[in-house]
Amino acid sequence: MKKRTIFGNIYIILAFIFLYMPIAVLILFSFNSSNSTSNFEGFSFKWYGELFSDAATLDALKNTLLLAILSSLIATVIGTMAAYGIHKMRNKHLKSSIMSVTKIPMINPEIVVGISMMLLFVFVGGILGSKSYLGFGTVLIAHVTFNLPYVILSVLPKFKQMDKSLPEAAQDLGCTPLQSFFKVELPAILPGVVSGLIMAFTLSLDDFVISYFTIGSGFETLPIRIYSMTKKRVTPDMYALSTLIFVSILVLLLLSNLTSDKSREKMSKKAKKITKIVVGTAFGVIGIITVIVLIVSAGTKTLTLNVYNWGEYISDGGEGTLDVNRAFEEYYEEKYFLETGERVNVSVNYTTYASNEDLYAKLKSGATGYDIIIPSDYMIQRLKSENLLQKLDLNKIPNYANIKEQFRNPFYDNGEEKYTAMYTYGVIGIIYNSKKLHPDDLAKIEAGEAGWELLWDEKYKGQILQFNNPRDAFGTAMYALGIDVNNATEEDWKKAQEYLKEQKPLVQSYVMDEIFNKMEGGEATLAAYYAGDCLCMIGNNEDLGFYYPRKNGEVVTNIFADAMCIPSSAENVDLAHEYINFMLSEEAAVANAEYIYYASPNKAVIENEGYQINMGKYEIEYKLDENGEEVPKLDEDDCYIPVLDENGEMIIDEEGDYFVIYDDVLEDNLEDMFNTYAYRDLEDESRATLNQKWEELKVDSQSFGGGIYIFCAVILVALIAFGVYCYIIKRKRRRLYWNTQK
Amino acid sequence: MNEKKIIELKNVAKSYDGEVILDHINLDVHEKEFMTLLGPSGCGKTTTLRIIAGFVTPDTGDVVFEGVKINDIPAYKRHVNTVFQKYALFPHLNVYENIAFALRLNKISEEEIYNRVEEMLAMVNLKGFEKRDVNLLSGGQQQRVAIARALINKPKVLLLDEPLGALDLKLRKDMQNELKNIQRKTGITFIYVTHDQEEALSMSDTVVVMADGKIQQIGTPTDIYNEPENAFVADFIGESNIIDGVMLDDYKAKFSGHIFECLDKGFEKNERVDVVVRPEDVDVVPPEKGMLTGVVTSVTFKGVHYEIIVNINNFKWMIQSTDYVEPNQKIGIYIEPDAIHIMKRSEYSGQFGDYSSFSDELDRLSDISEEEE
Amino acid sequence: MQRAAAAPHVVWAVLFIIAPLLFVVYYAFTDKNGSFTFSNIGAIFQASYLEVFLRSLCFAFLATVICLIIAYPIAYFMAKAKPKTQKVLIMLVMLPQWLNFLIRTYSWMALLEDTGIINSVLMGIFGLEIPPLHMINTSGAVILGMVYNYLPYMIIPLHSVISKIDPKLLEAAADLGCSPLRVLTKVVFPLSMSDIVSGVTMVFVPSISTFYISQKLGGGNFDLIGDTIERQFQTAYDYNLGAAMSFVLMLIILVSMAIMNRYAGEDDGGVVV
Repeated sequence: MKKRTIFGNIYIILAFIFLYMPIAVLILFSFNSSNSTSNFEGFSFKWYGELFSDAATLDALKNTLLLAILSSLIATVIGTMAAYGIHKMRNKHLKSSIMSVTKIPMINPEIVVGISMMLLFVFVGGILGSKSYLGFGTVLIAHVTFNLPYVILSVLPKFKQMDKSLPEAAQDLGCTPLQSFFKVELPAILPGVVSGLIMAFTLSLDDFVISYFTIGSGFETLPIRIYSMTKKRVTPDMYALSTLIFVSILVLLLLSNLTSDKSREKMSKKAKKITKIVVGTAFGVIGIITVIVLIVSAGTKTLTLNVYNWGEYISDGGEGTLDVNRAFEEYYEEKYFLETGERVNVSVNYTTYASNEDLYAKLKSGATGYDIIIPSDYMIQRLKSENLLQKLDLNKIPNYANIKEQFRNPFYDNGEEKYTAMYTYGVIGIIYNSKKLHPDDLAKIEAGEAGWELLWDEKYKGQILQFNNPRDAFGTAMYALGIDVNNATEEDWKKAQEYLKEQKPLVQSYVMDEIFNKMEGGEATLAAYYAGDCLCMIGNNEDLGFYYPRKNGEVVTNIFADAMCIPSSAENVDLAHEYINFMLSEEAAVANAEYIYYASPNKAVIENEGYQINMGKYEIEYKLDENGEEVPKLDEDDCYIPVLDENGEMIIDEEGDYFVIYDDVLEDNLEDMFNTYAYRDLEDESRATLNQKWEELKVDSQSFGGGIYIFCAVILVALIAFGVYCYIIKRKRRRLYWNTQK
Repeated sequence: MNEKKIIELKNVAKSYDGEVILDHINLDVHEKEFMTLLGPSGCGKTTTLRIIAGFVTPDTGDVVFEGVKINDIPAYKRHVNTVFQKYALFPHLNVYENIAFALRLNKISEEEIYNRVEEMLAMVNLKGFEKRDVNLLSGGQQQRVAIARALINKPKVLLLDEPLGALDLKLRKDMQNELKNIQRKTGITFIYVTHDQEEALSMSDTVVVMADGKIQQIGTPTDIYNEPENAFVADFIGESNIIDGVMLDDYKAKFSGHIFECLDKGFEKNERVDVVVRPEDVDVVPPEKGMLTGVVTSVTFKGVHYEIIVNINNFKWMIQSTDYVEPNQKIGIYIEPDAIHIMKRSEYSGQFGDYSSFSDELDRLSDISEEEE
Repeated sequence: MQRAAAAPHVVWAVLFIIAPLLFVVYYAFTDKNGSFTFSNIGAIFQASYLEVFLRSLCFAFLATVICLIIAYPIAYFMAKAKPKTQKVLIMLVMLPQWLNFLIRTYSWMALLEDTGIINSVLMGIFGLEIPPLHMINTSGAVILGMVYNYLPYMIIPLHSVISKIDPKLLEAAADLGCSPLRVLTKVVFPLSMSDIVSGVTMVFVPSISTFYISQKLGGGNFDLIGDTIERQFQTAYDYNLGAAMSFVLMLIILVSMAIMNRYAGEDDGGVVV
């Protein structure tokens, strides 16, 4: 007996270690002094501070709570009524068919529930011709829908347990049916209602999948925000938030557990009454706050600007930087007051996406209502051709003059009328870990001879990261093979696909912004990525280096530009112009350029002394002087890219700043590069081919061992054999007595 | 008893969380005996049974089975089977499989299993019920299945833990007879736990009355009824009037202010004793002829007799009589010497104020509160 | 009259439960122009997609079996504890579920990476020479992610059924000669069969349809049905193919559940070996 308890205890302890290991990690790293989520560098509370200054996260938290409260309340009301109705139903067929339909959202996989509702909204929205049909309303409907079965299933048993003569007794004593429901039946089923409410609230709070497919613009819940973060890098302030949530729930549960056992018995009736009142008031207060929030947000004059941008693509006020969106709010509120003498409340609703395709999917699926989007070149072409963008009124954007001449007529927007204002541009380069790279290859990079082929090098099997989006991934192969990325034939696509299939066994994983963690943490050796992000990573790990892939001495890689646009469905067009204008101002543009490290097309930035100092323009001369090397002469029209020392490594000073200089190769070719290597929007046919080839590549699984199938099959066969064995034994046993009478 | 001892409990004690459940018990069970452990709930009777079955390990003392100490032998290795209070039939098995359960554990051929199960079914009158779902059987039928299941392995001892508690009165009477018959037929030792004294008296060869973790008395039903050893036994078994008295001399007891002749001796002079008089042994006589007199406070018709409550010297006597008397009527009572039973005083003396009878209902109420804990 | 209280729910269910499913079917059997076609369903039977389905089935199956094997003893030992301890243990099992599953999965990455915490600890114990244990981006990591995320859904129903088994039944079995192990196989296991089925459903269904775990812990190398469906809606914009896949996924789940219910539903006479 004793031995078994010890074994059981050990087993349970192990199980809990398993369950709590990731949570321990999360709590530990919420106290990390650096922003790494894999290397603990020192204890600090700074992420907790960051959390409370992170408006977007707090906003998302507020949204999540609002959604959870509203949806659980609605579901509880409808669900309780439904349970009452179902309970009273006499027709068994009707009852059971309603119950089966009710249970569908519980049994169906979340993803199917999500997409089925999305299809409904898209279809109905399409028929109604409505511009924005995905939004708070749709996600609320979705949440109520999946909450309903849980409420009904927790209330219904209470009705069944209830003494049938209770309502009869009440009516016998003079209650109307309605009165008897509220006075007698409701109190009897209240525990079920409350537990249904709590369950619905919890489910709604935690839901990601269904929200993901039904959520619209300008409304971001916490899980959605975390999702877009995990595509890039989860900042430890998310860990801090999770830690706070975890601890508060733990405390709540412990309190309720401790009080329920001992003191509830001892608690006097008065105390019980008080608890009831407290709980009741708490719910009431939450409800009232919700109502007030709704009224306030509807009542005062608020201008909301929905900005949809890439993740970590704006200076957000973290670590002492300027919070550009808040600055804009203040700027415009003051401007409006000066011009009209009235107060206005401006609120920038900032949400993020991880790829052009995500953005396009959102716009296409009907999540319009965005006022500002910042897509890349080829996506702009496509959006323009589909009339999803509107032209800019340059009169309203005086700062447009800040954009350097050469960037005012990009290939995607070279007409008389302007649809875009360039935000940043950059190239795709290859980032590597110098500690893990073979010396020969390092030498090749230094000599400026390295190209794309390193990404196909057998030596780095399992150490290579590849883009997790079709355009960029195929791009790498096509640049490597010398195929024109914009005029590829079916044959070319096939060749590129073959090449990528060849690479697949070498690839550690297909990533987008997860690359930050993987490269900085030393998980991978080589990856192609956007230059600005590469600089960012190098800043966090000195072992990393960066080069432009060359072919026959010439840089052959993608160059891209991201530009601010106003979708044709925008609701605040004037404010959107103001926003673009503000973003082009020196203050905002410098802050952004310093924060995101991408090259800026903005004169005001390049000429800004602070920017030049921060980007190390002057220190280059000083540092290189010590080495006795000549310093390149810098012009106003410089393109800034990282400086490499004689070892081919980035020069970084003690503060972690790195030096960027003018690159003659790039500068000379900038125009050409845009013309040759920038992605153009593909014809529908090519796009279909690309998507299809990408699908084939993704689902192709050379790297996947067959062993697991065999293992699976063995278990399955064993289970079936066991079942058959049981069946046979049962038959054998029954043979003797099964035909006896009765 | 000439049969040899099959189970001996030697100085067995058990306590839970400092609460003494069994207080150093000694008990011998003989072969082919129908022994009943009788007592109110919480007296330790069920614990005693569970110690024999092997579900509970005693803190001290030995359990001896056929001369071998079996303290450390787990339940599943003991040649003892149990019929549980609420039958504990396996809900996932049908009647046949429930009964065959024990046989299936060993490699026994299907034919033999079939024969033995059928034999058992015949014994408990359940032939033809083989493939019934046990959950759909009536209480009595479930009871029979439980008995058959416990007996199929031909245990040396069958333990029955209040097996009839959940049945209604009529069914209980039938089952009592049936159990007695089965015991006689099979010759298996039965140890039967109950709090129903009537059941105990009508079925058992030996009754063990327990209270507060101690054995109060062991004896045949008639001994227990007629010669209770102390006030507790007297009170628990049947209805009784227990009165404080003094033993003036051998065969001479004084109580209620009157000196009575009795058949008991061997007490010290003037020793304080408990006197038991069974209600049916009291005769109602006119006041002037009575040894004692009192006023009738209530009369209840009980079918066979009247139950008369008489206040005598502020002690309410219960009298069962076929003669009707009026309430508030003054009557006298007459007691034959052989109706007076003298007991030594014990810790239970004085606990039973007026006439007393152990209440089944109260016992069941306390059962419920115990289960809730 | 009182039955009318169910009306709002019925309307809601028709609009937002049945209608969306009809749309899934509609999209599954139409092409981009809205005309009827079988080509979407046909496309799924290409070798590559078949493999995705097979892989998802296989991973979900293994995750479910592992969950069952891990969860059963936990539930069993938990049910043996004192009622008070049990309450706390249940709370502790459910507590991690309160944290967002994305972030929990994400922190597994930090644990499993080659330079991650587990490897650092191993190196600390065994010295620097040993090569890191390669865990992330393997099929094992994906299955681990599934097991981790859905284990509580297996433990809770199992625990509730095991703790409800009358202890007298266990004693009865022991009394009739069952060793502790046999008590488990002959009584506890058959009696918890119905809830094993519900636990299995609660692990299998989300496992087979998950789309996040494999992307994070499998490094995009193990495409599962969920990932493929998500891609149709979020990057490839092929709603029709996506709907067709969802339709097939639903069918798979319905069929597996029907099989399981059939298997567990046969309890007349009982399966005891």
